[in-house]
Amino acid sequence: MTALTPGQTPALSVTGLRKNFGANDVLRGIDLAAHDGDVISIIGASGSGKSTLLRCIPMLEIPGSGTVSVGADSLSPKGGRLTRAEEARARRMRGHLGFVFQNFNLWPHRTVLQNVIEAPLFVQGRSRAEATDEAMALLEKVGLTDKRDAWPAHLSGGQQQRVAIARALAQHPRAILFDEPTSALDPELVGEVLKVIRALADEGRTMLIVTHEMGFAREVSSRVVFLHHGQIEEDGTPAEVFGAPKSDRARAFLSSHFDRNR
Amino acid sequence: MDLTFLSSMFQSILKGLPLTLNLWVLSLLGGGCLALLLNLMRQSRIGAAVAGSYVFLFRGTPLLIQIFMIYYGLAGFGFIRQSFLWPFLREPYWCGLLALILNDAAYTSEILRGGLRAVPKGAVEAGRVSGMSRVAILRRITLPLAIRQALPAYSNEIISMLKATALVSTITLMDMTGIARAAISETWRAVEILLCAAVIYLAISMLVTRASAWAEARLSPWQFGRTTP
Repeated sequence: MTALTPGQTPALSVTGLRKNFGANDVLRGIDLAAHDGDVISIIGASGSGKSTLLRCIPMLEIPGSGTVSVGADSLSPKGGRLTRAEEARARRMRGHLGFVFQNFNLWPHRTVLQNVIEAPLFVQGRSRAEATDEAMALLEKVGLTDKRDAWPAHLSGGQQQRVAIARALAQHPRAILFDEPTSALDPELVGEVLKVIRALADEGRTMLIVTHEMGFAREVSSRVVFLHHGQIEEDGTPAEVFGAPKSDRARAFLSSHFDRNR
Repeated sequence: MDLTFLSSMFQSILKGLPLTLNLWVLSLLGGGCLALLLNLMRQSRIGAAVAGSYVFLFRGTPLLIQIFMIYYGLAGFGFIRQSFLWPFLREPYWCGLLALILNDAAYTSEILRGGLRAVPKGAVEAGRVSGMSRVAILRRITLPLAIRQALPAYSNEIISMLKATALVSTITLMDMTGIARAAISETWRAVEILLCAAVIYLAISMLVTRASAWAEARLSPWQFGRTTP
């Protein structure tokens, strides 16, 4: 955990987070806080619980126990389900987050522009003119203004993921969560998506990134968290975690990864 | 062939067209609403059991028997004859319409269920993370995608129902088939008369086929080579 600056609430935090699927304990007590401007990469082997951790924050998975806070709202669901009131609060918390999925999950029946303006228009109740202007600015940022009227099915994976990022940004999120944003992409398309994410980091956006791109994590993160069997094994700056990992497991994981990649 | 007879028959059968269209459209509307309700019920375990039995019952028995059961059967119950529903349920029109709606709902709910199951889970999750309510997700994401998915199968059901309305002629209603049957018993020229009726059903079916192809292309342009809306 980073030391809390006194008087400053984190943009988002989880405490004592646990989650099991049947007999399989996927998360075994996770404490993590992200302050405004933090870029935290979450790394670890498949099955270490990274994606589940990320999905618990907007309650796509309901944690078994523990607390999730986003801004001033927090939730401590009991028994793996949300009550009606908790569901309403979860919805408010989701409104302050952006989530980018591994498989993009664009709405296939809406064009690029419609995907981006959907939540501003129909959830946040902004005007169409305002939402459209802003969406165009976001599409420019991800380099896809010329695709505004295209269908998702006609875009490459890299383009779809950039639209998904624009869609997440359109919600004015306090923090953006990336769930392996480049894992479903052909190798030659990874670069364009990482470039966009890097630009967001440079803007000072608060981000949590689950990733297998170690070189990228090392470059853009302010902090790196290594997960093993549902627990945080290693937590520090990229230099600390990549340069001098304390645990044997992190060392083994990293050496196997750096042998394979770059 | 006797062309004057054919054309006069054609005209008198066309007089049954309004009733046929009326039963057809209302049964599709009623059946569609009920089908949506049956699918919403499926979210709870008891609701799923009720919906499952309903479909089992109405899909598993002949429509003709359902029509007879409602028209002849319900009158056997005293409490129904006493109830406020009796003014409706003693009319063959309402009995026929009710049977058609109940039957259509069973099939349509299965078609819709297939469509709903084909909605990508990720599209729904994307709706949830953008803060949409359950109702908004249903209205903006799940149903639009499910309907697009179900359209080809549903156009089959639309045509089936058109032809199914012919069965109400058995409970004295004068739809197109009812008029044709009456004319046959007067003239004994069955082939020509039935041919007239069949041609009209065929023409309407053709329109449905065209309309559904048009709707498919319009609702899912990305599947038909069009790059922009």
